[in-house]
Amino acid sequence: MKLWKDWRLHAVVLGIVVVAELIGSHQFSIGPGVILLLPMLYAIIIGLVLYFTPLLKEKQSKSAETLVFLSVSLLMAKFGVNIGPSIGTILEVGPALIFQELGHLATLLIALPIAVLLGLKREAVGMTHSIGREPNVALIMDKFGLNSPEGRGVMSIYIFGTIFGAVFLGLIPGFLATVLPLHPLSFAMASGVGSGSMMAAASGSLVSIYPEFETDIIALAGASNLISVATGLYVSIFIALPLTEKMYAFFIKFRGKKGKVGNE
Amino acid sequence: MLKNIQEWTLVFTIIGFITIVGNWIGYNIMPTQAIPGMLLLILMSIIGLALGEILPFKIPAIVYISIIAIVASIPGVPGSDYVVKWTSEVNLLALTTPILAYAGVAIGRSWADFAKLGWRSLIVGTLVLFGTYLGSAVIAEIILRVQGVI
Repeated sequence: MKLWKDWRLHAVVLGIVVVAELIGSHQFSIGPGVILLLPMLYAIIIGLVLYFTPLLKEKQSKSAETLVFLSVSLLMAKFGVNIGPSIGTILEVGPALIFQELGHLATLLIALPIAVLLGLKREAVGMTHSIGREPNVALIMDKFGLNSPEGRGVMSIYIFGTIFGAVFLGLIPGFLATVLPLHPLSFAMASGVGSGSMMAAASGSLVSIYPEFETDIIALAGASNLISVATGLYVSIFIALPLTEKMYAFFIKFRGKKGKVGNE
Repeated sequence: MLKNIQEWTLVFTIIGFITIVGNWIGYNIMPTQAIPGMLLLILMSIIGLALGEILPFKIPAIVYISIIAIVASIPGVPGSDYVVKWTSEVNLLALTTPILAYAGVAIGRSWADFAKLGWRSLIVGTLVLFGTYLGSAVIAEIILRVQGVI
């Protein structure tokens, strides 16, 4: 491996960080909501653009993948040291913290009907049963196989999440927090979707909006993410996937009756 | 194992250096102030990663890292004051920027796959992320209000 020796990559990343932090954070309003642009968003975009220049080659991109995993470790430690001092708050909000995990099922209610409406078939099951991170991909592969429609579906969401997840979750908290009357602590818990970089993006922008809640936001996002990582697979196996199958059967029948698209 | 620890240490030193530079430029925290906290985060990460390799359970290393960091920072645990004080000098956003810079370079390779996805995947993918985030926030809000916490 010898990841540390990839000086080209590290030098480029140092350059990206310096430029991104010098630009600093900016915000502008769209209608009633606020869009918050943070250095981390510039960083991911500059990194992506630079990949297509002679500055970086495929080798750097491969090293970068492992480096994301390793640097997320540091982030987990940072979230952890915020959980300790807030352990009282965490226990107090424990019930909310546990039940909001079921909020992940909302992806089914919102995304599955639309996926079926768009004409997707069994792909929709793989796409909408979860947010499609590594454990979910493994589950679908195990159950349906790599070349099944379900497998293609979950892979497309995996790729989508890999590319847009952090950017998207860095942008929507700013917007939703200004539009919806929800408490910052609720958004903090929602940030822990089960992916380190997505959680960092979501909670980071939340902290920029509510600096006075910084400690609690980081602690709750970290705790929620930890619960998601630890239980996510089991929620998928025992609740989300069976429920997806039932709802899929329901919607596909509905679509069939309407006569828009033929049944399976 | 020892080789791994050596590799992790070198990699974390580099990431730590980049983070501290960003921490200085973006959040005006002097590097000398941030170094003890950064070293602590590195140490906890290495112990967690090592446990992930040594212990026979099928638990991701990030769970071990989280548990170590949580326990080390609980009030009353010896040294927890320093853990909390030092690590607070490493800004969360300063730590996130280099991670996403590496992520940007890493996703460059997936870009071709992405181009093949098609517009329906974009719509469904957006709704999946949006649904998860909003669903969790709404349930948390309801329970927090019922409990009278907020």
